[in-house]
Amino acid sequence: MSDDPFEAIKATFFQECEELLADLEGNLLTLESGSTDIEVINAVFRAVHSVKGGAGAFGLEDLVRFAHVFETLMDELRSGRKPCDDPTVKTLLRASDVLADHVAAARGAGAPVDPVRSAGLVAELEALTYGGAAPAAAAAPDEDDFGFTPVAMDLGAFEAPGGLPDLADLPPLPDLAALAPLSAPAPLSDPGSLPDLSAPAAARGWKIVFRPHPRLYASANETGLLLRELARLGPTRVQMDDSGLPLLDALEPTDSHLIWTIELDGDASETEVREVFDFVEMDCDLSVTPLGDAATVEAALAAVADEDDSDASALARAASSELDIAALLASVGAAPTQAPAPVAAAPVIAPAPEPVAPPSPVKPAPAPTAAAPVQTAPPAAAPVTIRVDLERVDRLINAVGELVIQQAMLAQRVTESGMARSSDIGLGLEDLELLTREIQDSVMAIRAQPVKSVFQRMPRLVREAAEATGKKVKLVTSGEDTEVDKTVIERLSDPITHMLRNAIDHGLEGPEERLAAGKPAEGTVRLAALHRSGRIVIEISDDGKGINRPRVKGIAVERGLIAEDAILSDDEIDNLIFLPGFSTATEVSDLSGRGVGMDVVRRSIQSLGGRISISSVPGKGSTFTLSLPLTLAVLDGMVVGADEQTLVAPLAAIVESLTPNEADIHYVGGVDPVLRFREAFVPLVDVARVMGFRDAPTVLKGGVVMIVETESRQRAALLVDAIHGQRQVVIKSLESNYRHVEGVAAATILGDGRVALILDIDALVTAKRTRTPSRSDLQMAS
Amino acid sequence: MTTIEQTLTPNVAGTDRELIAFRIGEQEFCVDIMSVREIRGWTPATPLPRSPAYMKGVINLRGVVLPIIDLGARFGLATNEPTERHVIMVAHVGSRLVGLLVDAVSDIVQLSDAAIQPTPDVASDHVKSFVKGIFAVEGGRMISLIDLDHVLPESEAEAA
Repeated sequence: MSDDPFEAIKATFFQECEELLADLEGNLLTLESGSTDIEVINAVFRAVHSVKGGAGAFGLEDLVRFAHVFETLMDELRSGRKPCDDPTVKTLLRASDVLADHVAAARGAGAPVDPVRSAGLVAELEALTYGGAAPAAAAAPDEDDFGFTPVAMDLGAFEAPGGLPDLADLPPLPDLAALAPLSAPAPLSDPGSLPDLSAPAAARGWKIVFRPHPRLYASANETGLLLRELARLGPTRVQMDDSGLPLLDALEPTDSHLIWTIELDGDASETEVREVFDFVEMDCDLSVTPLGDAATVEAALAAVADEDDSDASALARAASSELDIAALLASVGAAPTQAPAPVAAAPVIAPAPEPVAPPSPVKPAPAPTAAAPVQTAPPAAAPVTIRVDLERVDRLINAVGELVIQQAMLAQRVTESGMARSSDIGLGLEDLELLTREIQDSVMAIRAQPVKSVFQRMPRLVREAAEATGKKVKLVTSGEDTEVDKTVIERLSDPITHMLRNAIDHGLEGPEERLAAGKPAEGTVRLAALHRSGRIVIEISDDGKGINRPRVKGIAVERGLIAEDAILSDDEIDNLIFLPGFSTATEVSDLSGRGVGMDVVRRSIQSLGGRISISSVPGKGSTFTLSLPLTLAVLDGMVVGADEQTLVAPLAAIVESLTPNEADIHYVGGVDPVLRFREAFVPLVDVARVMGFRDAPTVLKGGVVMIVETESRQRAALLVDAIHGQRQVVIKSLESNYRHVEGVAAATILGDGRVALILDIDALVTAKRTRTPSRSDLQMAS
Repeated sequence: MTTIEQTLTPNVAGTDRELIAFRIGEQEFCVDIMSVREIRGWTPATPLPRSPAYMKGVINLRGVVLPIIDLGARFGLATNEPTERHVIMVAHVGSRLVGLLVDAVSDIVQLSDAAIQPTPDVASDHVKSFVKGIFAVEGGRMISLIDLDHVLPESEAEAA
């Protein structure tokens, strides 16, 4: 599949779709927050337009159809003909969800789109587009029409002193539209000149002026074929203007010098006419005007002139294009066409290439609009990026991991050889170490991505959850730009999704209950990301009712999770919800009560080396805090020794280390050792024994104890033989070639080239409590 | 070793596969040469907690954490502590890379599929799960063809 170039292009299209949809939603949210910036509306339009354009090229009919309706409404909004009010934006948001569904379905990644939902939104969009009335026949989107809708250019905006009597549709040039929103609803000097947009069905025929750019030919299009297509729509009279053709010695064979004027009879719609030029519209100057409407033709020509002008300045096209324009204008003016237009047009265009007389007062109007976006256009200022196959990045990261290990090994060999640190080699090695560290950091930065990609999916989730529960919810996000390793990001989405659903389903109250409690009817859920001491922290908080502690405790007792007479602190009760098999919803709701609870969330967070904690205030709400390592590739660890084995303990789990005093050791029931640590007793875990390296009884003498804290905030004392020091290690998976080993989180390679195991603190501490001496692994093995 | 070479040379016509023959104790086994990536000397491995006895631990193979399986122990044969003269065959098993600890690698054998006989029914199920077939060489010796897919614990082989 991937060898198929078409598939590859399609894959690129879907990648772009993802970005476009993200932009789309982001911009819609900006609109929702009250912005009326025309640039934002334009950006939304462009995103939908681009999705539709690509989808059309791949024949994704459902997607095109939906995008078309969406785009039509956006066009109304950006031209200012329809107000971009709150209900509209809400509908647009839901439409963007369905559009995303259509994209996912087309990609084969998602379930087929719910036809009822899709059709419902199409109806809503159309209702908004056509002001509630049934779509006018003229504007009713042809179901089989995959062509681009004509982008109406509002000529009223650059109305000439004489007054342009009627609408002239300009060619839809998306690239130009992107840079120069000529259709911006600039103040109209004469409201009466408001173009009538539903007009395109007019007339007995069309006059089409078509001037191909060299690019058109470069992309293997052929004028003859276009003309033949046009001829299918009705009888045509074609005139070719070759007056732009230079003498032979000046002829640049790859340039385009010819202009065609086609008069098409019959009742083809403008859409049909433009459809013919669908794939070349970016690469030509095109005007389509009703036949016999002299003024309109004049306007069209003026518009072409004007457009080329702004085109040239905005796009900074090759300087030669201006000459082309001059040639075009001159030739059009001089061309003895039958249309009455040229007579009027001639004086207009004659003085070219100087600013033409009648359009000149026009120009200042569009110019600022054209210039402004160029100055403020964020894409231009955005850093240049490239797309790189993730596998390549991973290969680089692995290689750098090896480099780090190799460097450490070299340093160790040098030390062992008795060479002084101040020797040339020693100093050189130090520089190498710095450099290695720098390379490693830079490589890690390549994989780092803002959490935005996850956060962006959440507004939709919240909307749907709110809809399903009938609650009013506002999602407030912050820290979207916080960066974290890609592997972490990928695995953040599910836990966050789950916790947001929980917050809405269980945390927030219904509108009445909220009002009764003196809170605003609309609940607020906050999603925040921030960096804190080398980790990323994600906070999910709601302003709901908080954890109902008596009920939580009751359920825990009922499910046999705790003893009935257990005395628990508030904190401990809150943490009960992380126990497997715990679910507080009395009725299993559609939304979050699917039997998987917070224990699943906690486990997936822990598998990333993270922690989750909760704090809750009754009546005020709850906050879940996730803390995760920034990368899964390296780890700050404490290198320790236990019975001749070298092990690594994650630094994040270590509270402190100390040399134990025999007098501080006590035995619970005479068997299980505990260590007195700051007036508290913590279980003492002999690492060498729990790991199965040593069967002999624990010897405290000469040992060192590390006080560690587990995810669930339990403390324990790990007894090891020695602590060798702190070191950043490269994490190597055991699972890739073997399997998960209880008590071991991963492996790493130390300076001596040997493999050292990274301890899974949580498993060690719980293993201490639950472990039976039977070697069950052995039986399972054969 | 030379005997094997001599005995097998006449069979070269109709060669279907190349195998690597190795020795564990007094027994000879072989695996498909395509599954073996490299052969290296024994280096002490880092033991893994609570692992089966045949799991000698993991070593660093140029940055890859390589699990070492004592093949003799895996087959249920009596084994000794590995020494420097022992050999690790680095082999692909499914998508994994594992090191197989054996006493010595004896030869490269070329063999036609037709020469392989099914494992006789006398063998226990445990042995049969590893031995794909046997073939005779002159001198009354027998080499067993090993199926590496079952060398890792079953539950893992499925997952792989």
